[in-house]
Amino acid sequence: MDDVMKDRVEQLADFIMKWCLWQFHSRAWDRERQNEEILTKTMQLLCDEPVNLSTPSDRCYWVDAVYLANGFKKTCPWLGIMDKKDIKLLMQGLKGRIDYLTINGSLNQELTNPIY
Amino acid sequence: MPYHTFKCSECIPDRAMHAVIKGPGEDLTSCLPLGYLNTIPGTISERGCAFCGAKHVIGSPMKDVIHLSHGPVGCTYDTWHTKRYISDNDNFQLKYTAATDMKEKHVVFGAEKMLKQNIIDCFKAFPHIKRMSIYQTCASALIGDDINAVAKKVMDEMPDVDIFVCNAPGFGGPSQSGGHHKINIAWIDQKVGTFEPEIKSKYVINYVGDYNIQGDSEIMIDFFQRMGIQVLSSFTGNGSYDDLRGMHLAHLNVLECARSSEYICNELRKRYGIPRLDIDGFGFEPLSASLMKVAMFFGLEKEAQAIIDDETARWRPELNWYAKRLKGKKICLWPGGSKLWHWAHVIEEEMGVKVVSVYSKFGHQGDFEKGVARCSEGALAIDDPNELEGLEAMEMLQPDCVLTGVRPGEVSKKMRVPYLNIHAYDNGPYKGFEGWVRLARDLYNAIYSPIHQLSGLDISKDEIPTDKGFMTRQMISDVNIIGDGTTPIEERPYTGEWDIVTKLRGKKYPKLESQQQLGMV
Ligand code: SF4
Repeated sequence: MDDVMKDRVEQLADFIMKWCLWQFHSRAWDRERQNEEILTKTMQLLCDEPVNLSTPSDRCYWVDAVYLANGFKKTCPWLGIMDKKDIKLLMQGLKGRIDYLTINGSLNQELTNPIY
Repeated sequence: MPYHTFKCSECIPDRAMHAVIKGPGEDLTSCLPLGYLNTIPGTISERGCAFCGAKHVIGSPMKDVIHLSHGPVGCTYDTWHTKRYISDNDNFQLKYTAATDMKEKHVVFGAEKMLKQNIIDCFKAFPHIKRMSIYQTCASALIGDDINAVAKKVMDEMPDVDIFVCNAPGFGGPSQSGGHHKINIAWIDQKVGTFEPEIKSKYVINYVGDYNIQGDSEIMIDFFQRMGIQVLSSFTGNGSYDDLRGMHLAHLNVLECARSSEYICNELRKRYGIPRLDIDGFGFEPLSASLMKVAMFFGLEKEAQAIIDDETARWRPELNWYAKRLKGKKICLWPGGSKLWHWAHVIEEEMGVKVVSVYSKFGHQGDFEKGVARCSEGALAIDDPNELEGLEAMEMLQPDCVLTGVRPGEVSKKMRVPYLNIHAYDNGPYKGFEGWVRLARDLYNAIYSPIHQLSGLDISKDEIPTDKGFMTRQMISDVNIIGDGTTPIEERPYTGEWDIVTKLRGKKYPKLESQQQLGMV
């Protein structure tokens, strides 16, 4: 990932860290699912791809994804001139970064507690 | 690692990783205090016990319930309802609390018989209340009283009553948070799914993790009902016992305080497939986003937007009036749990005050992740601080106001630092758009109170000026406000009423009622 991309990933990660709560569910397996579902749906929205809304859970991930996509567009004007291929790469990088901050690199010792 | 060692705690090496300062470039992989661990002997922690967390945070806001502690009277007396979690049934649960008053003889011979008699006496004393929560304490847990068996016996003998048993003794966890956990799990195991409340709308939610402090839950529920959403249960502020037994029928769990009640939402997802949506009910922008998210789940965007537009137009100018005068002030945000992350960023964004420290006595690392992620560089985050650490932090950070509970608040007052009671509130509710302005007003009044001019004088040595009066709040706060006509005319101090909650009770909700008339289920 080049420096521009890295910087952009960081800007998006900062937005999530400040304005969202969904990435901080209490266990590692919850966080994996949340990150995967919400960031995939956000990528689909940013790339004008269809979003699966068939279950209540899908709708719930989707509302957070819509908020995120709108927030990204508002705070990061450079998104508007990126092509879809690059947006996908960017979102892939973002997913890796959020997984690192909230799961793999997290100092939270409760993430692996097997019960709620 | 950006750990911070307090001078007063140098002699307690175990405290070394319980405080961090968020430095430049730090993120959560390098900057996170430990949390929710056993209290370190010698630190004089100020935590509550697990019984307190179960009963006084989560159980007791339930309004149509007799709350009975099974234990020495001190457990209930010392922690008697001091939070202002009001209810619309004349505050029954705030006015009355019961204890079995265990003595030494019960410890020796057992207290089950006495417990049974107490339960029956309570129902006789309040014949209109048919629901009860019984809370285990250290003493009754240690002697092994089988509270569930006694409750079952009474329910068999009195078929019109229903009893919930919460086995969360004081020692059941490092802090009150252990009790939050236990009561969440006990409620879903024992009670959810045992009652079917009437479904009156196509859009049904549980509103979870708000305790109706000075009416917070009622303010939020009003927004939902204005959109046409049925709030099936409120966990547990102003909540009704039987409604909470029907939580399994909602379409969505809308979660405010994940610290105290994410467990039940996680279980409701696992057992009943109900999704969990975490929201922020404080601050104009986060609240607007949260209302819109709930609305989008049901396709009610237009309804939400109308509320957001109305409320913002009405209250934003008043928030702006305070924000101009609060800009640059420093605060320590030292609440119990969730406000440390609900407020850490938005109070800075919308009121202009700088959060120089966040702390929690019972929060988990998950709470600190949210708090540290949201607060600005330089903020000091402390897990389970003791009084000396609090004093040292105040000396180091020189805050203009400390937002905390009564006990640490009184300490800060002695340091001549004003404090705002954000556990029980000064003049809440603080949720909702108007509520956020009320918080700004209370913060402004605390920081600019004329009393600070007097309290700083020592009459034994200082010269007391007799030729001039006090400066009022506004004389002090407006020194830097230029009266050049750039202030929009509608910007003004708070103009709302003293009581903004009572009028919501009995309010009609046309959108909800029209669905009922159509027989929607
Ligand atoms: S720690 Fe035990 S004895 Fe003390 S108040 Fe809590 S339940 Fe009662």
